Amino acid sequence: MRHLELNGELARDIALAFDASPNPYMLLTPELRYAGMNQAYLDVLGRRREDLIGKAIFEVYDGGGEDDAARANAERLRESLQRVIETGERDHLALIHYPIELVDADGTRRIEDRWWSATHAPVRNQAGEVVYILQHTQDVTEVERLRRRVAGAEDQASVGELLSGNILARAEHVQEDNRRLQSERNRLLDIFLQAPGFIAVLTGPDHVFQMHNRAYADLVGRDDLDGKPLRVALPEIPDQGFLNLLDEVRGSGEPFQGRAVPVQLARSRSGGLETVYLDFIYQPLRDMDGSVAGVFVQGHDVTDAVLADRRQRLMIDELNHRVKNTLATVQSIAMQTARSHAQPERFAESFQARLLALSHTHDLLTRSHWEGADLHEVLEHETEAHGRTRVLLNGPHVALKPSAALSLGMVFHELATNAAKYGALSAPDGRVTVDWSLDEDGRMRVVWREGGGPPASPPERRGFGSRLIERSVRHDLGGNITMDYGEEGLTAVMIFPVNSGRN
Amino acid sequence: MTALTGRRVLIVEDESLVAMLLETMLEDLGCVAVGPASSVDEGLRLAKEDGVDVALLDVNVAGTQVFPVAEALEAKGVPLVFSTGYGEGGLPEHWRGRPTVQKPFTEAVIRDALMKALGVANA
Repeated sequence: MRHLELNGELARDIALAFDASPNPYMLLTPELRYAGMNQAYLDVLGRRREDLIGKAIFEVYDGGGEDDAARANAERLRESLQRVIETGERDHLALIHYPIELVDADGTRRIEDRWWSATHAPVRNQAGEVVYILQHTQDVTEVERLRRRVAGAEDQASVGELLSGNILARAEHVQEDNRRLQSERNRLLDIFLQAPGFIAVLTGPDHVFQMHNRAYADLVGRDDLDGKPLRVALPEIPDQGFLNLLDEVRGSGEPFQGRAVPVQLARSRSGGLETVYLDFIYQPLRDMDGSVAGVFVQGHDVTDAVLADRRQRLMIDELNHRVKNTLATVQSIAMQTARSHAQPERFAESFQARLLALSHTHDLLTRSHWEGADLHEVLEHETEAHGRTRVLLNGPHVALKPSAALSLGMVFHELATNAAKYGALSAPDGRVTVDWSLDEDGRMRVVWREGGGPPASPPERRGFGSRLIERSVRHDLGGNITMDYGEEGLTAVMIFPVNSGRN
Repeated sequence: MTALTGRRVLIVEDESLVAMLLETMLEDLGCVAVGPASSVDEGLRLAKEDGVDVALLDVNVAGTQVFPVAEALEAKGVPLVFSTGYGEGGLPEHWRGRPTVQKPFTEAVIRDALMKALGVANA
């Protein structure tokens, strides 16, 4: 064996010994290039050493021909070498069919079927790294031929056993099983790594990460977990009771299932804790002897579902609250309207008008998703029934909170109704001007001035309408209102903080 | 004359129309309405004054919970009735079991809740 990095006579002796061996040997680099081989190997392949050294093995080795069987041979060889590199352990190929070309004494060439059994062994340097792979091949053609010959003979079983034909067949089966298991393992590993749910395997009393998948790494925002105990890999976890849970699962051997469990995780580099909600299971993993060796962690991030559920519950509560409040408001309007009207038909008219005033403002608020309404729009809605030219509106855009919009809607409804009954809008030429402005302190000043109608006089009895106006401004808006009953008609001045009231 | 005649009832309710409804009902029951307070601050101020026999508290006052007022009244031994759109389930643990009325309410419901809070027999 040349090119081996051995020095002195010993190296030469070893190389000579290899060359003398009837069994083929060859040495590959981890890149699967030929580093050396003995004479027997060259004889089998029918090649010269200088044609092989440094070449990639699969440029040279064709598996014994061009057909499918040859390609399968080459593939098995490749897998076996790959396993040695990945695992650092020896790998065996029980049986390879590889025909060789022989040159007879008379110089004629012929192809002869041969069966081989190969072992691939890692060769390590002092640091323990795999620097070469040694292939040792044995010609098992004789055994295989015997096996095939006795197939069909009368005393097949005894002869077969005698010649260990079954052993070869079994070796072939084991090799096939291993190949199947290996590909099955790879497939499972792929599924494990790509599973949408998070998965991790923790072993030992310190819950050391053996493996975790991509979803787990994404969940915790870290990937350097394997080989570390849980409390080191995820230092924010121990204080949250999960170590105790894992200890319990190990101790009892019973799985633990958690539903929508809040977990604080330091997912970002800044280290800030983020709350996620997880459905998960801790499943004990048992050894051959039945004792718990580790815990299989599997689950899903259900944060979005939990938050959506919570939002929906809040919305339903809020909706219920608003509906019940509105019903109480309507109840109040009905009761007080009834008390101020002796005749049922007048009650129905007033009640419906007030209900519609409330409803109009609701419409406005719905358009803005209950974020608020513009004062101009509120005024327009409540007064347009009396004619746009008779009620003049002058003022800037002012955003009102929903509660303020609802209160002012009722106030303007009552003012307009009174004007139509007794004030400026009861006369053909009467009109109303509404001016509003904001002062520097955010206080709104609204002036409702009637003109062109009969002189105004204070009501003899304070009815529901005037009480409602007064109370709405004072109670709901936190402001005040003055009513001046003059010769020209009523002038009402309201002053209130514009951002007052609830939403 | 009933057990409620002349009782002074503090009202904390942010919606003026609902407050007016309560005032009318209390008037019919022979009670004297105190307030109504439209905010927790105003409610706290009125709660400190003497002469309140019982209180009717809206749980959600202008977006704020009324419980500071409830605590101030409890400290003075004033009985309470909560009014809420959420039902009794909307009350924190500490206040569960207190007389609660749900909007919209009838006069009879208000009367019974006040009598229960005051611990007086129904006439």
